[in-house]
Amino acid sequence: MSYAYLFKYIIIGDTGVGKSCLLLQFTDKRFQPVHDLTIGVEFGARMISIDGKQIKLQIWDTAGQESFRSITRSYYRGAAGALLVYDITRRDTFNHLTTWLEDARQHSNSNMVIMLIGNKSDLEARRDVKKEEGEAFAREHGLIFMETSAKTAANVEEAFINTAKEIYQKIQDGVFDINNEANGIKIGPQHSPSNPSMPSGGGNAGPSGNCC
Amino acid sequence: MDYFRKYLAPQQGGEQPSGADTVERLVDRASSSTLLDDRRDAVRAIKALSRKFRLEVGTLAMDTLLKVLEMDSSDSEITGYALDALCNVMSNEPTDEDEEIPQPGGDDLGAQFTEIFIKKTDNVGLLLSLLEEYDFHVRWPTVKLLTTLLTNKVKELQECILVFPMGVSKLMDLLSDSREIIRNDALLLLNQLTRGHANIQKIVAFENAFERLLDIVHEEGASDGGIVVEDCLLLLLNLLKGNSSNQNFFREGSHVKYLTPFFELDQDPHRAQVGWSAQKVTNMHLMLQLVRALVSPSNPQQLTTNCQKNMHTCGLLQQLCKILMASGVPADVLTETINTVAEVIRGNFQNQEYFASVMAPSNPPRPAIVVLLMSMVNEKQPFTLRCAVLYCFQSFLYKNEVGQSQIVQTLLPTSADATTISAGQLLCGGLFSADSLSNWFAAVALLNAISNNQTQKEQLLRTQLATSLGNPPVSLLQQCCNILTQGGRVQTRIGILMLLATWMADCHTAVAHFLYNTANVPYLISQVSSSDGDESELCVQGLCAFLLGICVLYNDDQNQTFTTASIRQIIEKRIGLEAFTNKLSHVTKSENYTRAIKKPHLNYKQPSEVFFDHEFSRLFKDVEHDIIKALSPTNNSKDSKQQLANLKEHESIVAQYKDLIQEQDVGLRQLQGQLESLQLEHGRTQRQLDESTQQIQQLRDQNALLKATKGAKSSSSDLCREEEVKQLNEKLQHLSLQLVEKDSHIEKMKTDLLVLEARVNAQDLADEDKENNPSETAVLQQTVNRLNTELHELRLHVSNKDTEIHRVTSECSSLQRQLKELSLASNNLAVDTGKVQSLSDEVKKLTDDKNSLQERLKKANEENLNFADKIHKLEDAVSREQTEKSKVNDELDTLKKEQEDLLVLLADQDTKIDTYKKKLRELGQEVEDDDDDLNDEDLEDEDET
Repeated sequence: MSYAYLFKYIIIGDTGVGKSCLLLQFTDKRFQPVHDLTIGVEFGARMISIDGKQIKLQIWDTAGQESFRSITRSYYRGAAGALLVYDITRRDTFNHLTTWLEDARQHSNSNMVIMLIGNKSDLEARRDVKKEEGEAFAREHGLIFMETSAKTAANVEEAFINTAKEIYQKIQDGVFDINNEANGIKIGPQHSPSNPSMPSGGGNAGPSGNCC
Repeated sequence: MDYFRKYLAPQQGGEQPSGADTVERLVDRASSSTLLDDRRDAVRAIKALSRKFRLEVGTLAMDTLLKVLEMDSSDSEITGYALDALCNVMSNEPTDEDEEIPQPGGDDLGAQFTEIFIKKTDNVGLLLSLLEEYDFHVRWPTVKLLTTLLTNKVKELQECILVFPMGVSKLMDLLSDSREIIRNDALLLLNQLTRGHANIQKIVAFENAFERLLDIVHEEGASDGGIVVEDCLLLLLNLLKGNSSNQNFFREGSHVKYLTPFFELDQDPHRAQVGWSAQKVTNMHLMLQLVRALVSPSNPQQLTTNCQKNMHTCGLLQQLCKILMASGVPADVLTETINTVAEVIRGNFQNQEYFASVMAPSNPPRPAIVVLLMSMVNEKQPFTLRCAVLYCFQSFLYKNEVGQSQIVQTLLPTSADATTISAGQLLCGGLFSADSLSNWFAAVALLNAISNNQTQKEQLLRTQLATSLGNPPVSLLQQCCNILTQGGRVQTRIGILMLLATWMADCHTAVAHFLYNTANVPYLISQVSSSDGDESELCVQGLCAFLLGICVLYNDDQNQTFTTASIRQIIEKRIGLEAFTNKLSHVTKSENYTRAIKKPHLNYKQPSEVFFDHEFSRLFKDVEHDIIKALSPTNNSKDSKQQLANLKEHESIVAQYKDLIQEQDVGLRQLQGQLESLQLEHGRTQRQLDESTQQIQQLRDQNALLKATKGAKSSSSDLCREEEVKQLNEKLQHLSLQLVEKDSHIEKMKTDLLVLEARVNAQDLADEDKENNPSETAVLQQTVNRLNTELHELRLHVSNKDTEIHRVTSECSSLQRQLKELSLASNNLAVDTGKVQSLSDEVKKLTDDKNSLQERLKKANEENLNFADKIHKLEDAVSREQTEKSKVNDELDTLKKEQEDLLVLLADQDTKIDTYKKKLRELGQEVEDDDDDLNDEDLEDEDET
């Protein structure tokens, strides 16, 4: 249960692109062909390891529907990573990426790592968005890109883990302020330099008081 | 202050302008004045009036105040006054000042103004953006105003805040404010904000609320802390209750273990005596509820199970059990602790097992379960505590077959121990006590001990009760029926009826026991057919109908009087199907039933509310339908019977399949074992194969060697044998020749003898014969001797041959043995067909070789046998010859005797002749005949003597 770091992720993107399935495949290693619409936000968690360090991923899977947009927005700020998902068989989901990205950039902290994901790569026959287009979009906006299939689990692990690696690298580079939990990063209990008798790391009063 | 007096004094006078006028003037001033100071003064005045003239200020000044917030936000003072004024207008909370003032518009005033306020959604946004101002004079009243607005119109405000970007996050940030008063008010605000809104709850949790709140609780001294702790716990409860996503997040974030220290009781006895403060009791209650929120039976099963597991591993359950057994704990806290323990162990075997092992620190130490049950059947204990104990007991038995059997065990005659108080004793005591509530509790407790457990239902039938002295013991089932027929309080009867129904459902033996007493069915019939009674009496009748239905449904038809068909008939004739189903539905229609089936926790306030048990309600729901179906007129009795039979058949088929599967399982396991051993053997044989191939190679070499030597030997020995045979033949011929010779000798001797006899007969002197015969015998003896020696030699030869043959045979047999071993070894290798084939080929070749060798051996043996035969014949011949020889010898002897006899005769005759000659001489006669002969004879006689 102990971990070196805890990263908070969010998964965003149009409705029906497979966000919940990606999460389910990552946390439970299974695929559910019929999935209800996500209402608001659902939570999932998994432990991974990078460079031999245990890293806990807490992932919030958001609803893609427009009506839940205001709820979704509340999660940007506290997330260290975001998976922006579109469906390679539906061009409109690709076209909406710009809106999503604007939204994310506006509400998140500037260091949030965004991974662009073209999901449903198993449906090659029905492909509507070329891989090159996704790559080009990612390049243009400085995102990492990957095509995945929540159904066959292809690249699903990689998508989550590569995002974590990027965040980890940013921590090593000193880009992230790891002491500010609002960034969606937390140092594990045994690594925390703060008072060990406390249930969790400090940050309840004082220093952050005059930040806003 | 002059300013104030100018406006307020006349009012105080009582005849001056009304509050409305004053407010109007102030509003005018606040909105039109160009000087900030003027505006500030005006707003301050409005604020001062806002409590007294709520309605006026609200209706007249709201727009102006909002404008001030918008325009003058740079001045914290005026902003603060405006916010305070708005807050006063919105707040429905009475203040000490306005006690004497009747509230115009009633309680709804705050809500109405709130409604007006949020008509413009931007207003809420305005307030939220004001939160960014750090100044205490702005931030604090903003928090208060938002809280008030939320209190008045929670749904609308929640939506407004949710829509505003980062609205919830901004409010969450307030928890980090260093000024305690703001932080504490933020707690109240968040409590209002999260009320009944899952999405906001999730966002708040996402913003690290759990950690912050747990931190605060810890800092404030946990249960010993003040109202802030209470607020934190309330907020935590808000976030977790019924929100599975947050519960999951709470658990995943490993926060469960931080709850454990909350329950560490102060061990200082001095302080324990002081008692618990009201705040501590409240805090404790909330902490317990927090735990219950995580393991509530209404949560998703998986989540509850995971949390239960965590609570055991982090020592939370242990801590709770400590409180159970601690002294000085207030009764209501104890009650809630029991309820909490109930839900922490419910359906989780490991936790149930732990609970069963908890011992109370009494003297002698007793299991906690027993101590708790003692409270349950004790009338003097508070009602809610008794309910909690029952709930705990139910939870202990829920899905816990081991626990069920442990409890039932204490009721069985074999294990009854009179010296210690057992759960069974307590339950029986409760069942038959005079207190109807105890009856009900004990019946329900017992019901849970056998619910869904066929074995324990049957075991419980064995329970015998000693009634009064001298009377025979009565079975528990019968005693229950007796109590039932005696009437008594409603709760007693309901308890017993539920126990009986659970007992008999799906248990044919129990039904048979019940029907054995012929008074039982008529009692039920009489109950069901009675038409009057109040609500609770109707429920009793419904339960009686249910029990009757169970008698139909689970009847094994062994009882002659009450078979399925006969009871059906009685129901139809005496009650009527419609009336019967009506009675049944009374139960499900009853409010108490709906309450009981909803959740397992007995949340009763008064003893009179106690009616149905959750577990029983579920059984009722399941079985009721079957009963109605079994009795419905479309199903004639045959059909229902057939159905039942079908059902039984199905069951039996299923059982068969189960058996089959079990068998197959066993077979599978065996086969797996065999496979394993075979694989092992395979490995071993592989090794053996290698060894034996080597061996075969060796053997082949040996064989080749042997063949070579054998070939050489057999060819040489064959030659030898031929030679020997030839020699033997020659010898044989020689011997036969000798035999012939001897025959002729004997013939000659016979003829000689005949001649001699003739001579003797003729009384001739056949001296020559005498001389001849011995010499001939000597010759014969000689030949016989020679023959004997030859025979001896031959025998030696034969024995030599025999030993040689023996050696060859033993060699052969050892070879055969080796071959057999080899073939055995190769048989073992049947798995490896290829190698084995070649091996067996080799073996076959070897066997062939061996066979040919054997054949050769056989031939040699035959030859040997032939030789032996011949030798035998020869021996025969020799022996025959010997007998002949002895015969001849005998003849010779007889001949000698005869000769002697003859000699004697001759001598006699000589003497006679002499005497006759003497007589003749004496007589004077000259005797001249045969002188020569006589002389000769004398000579001869002289020679012989």
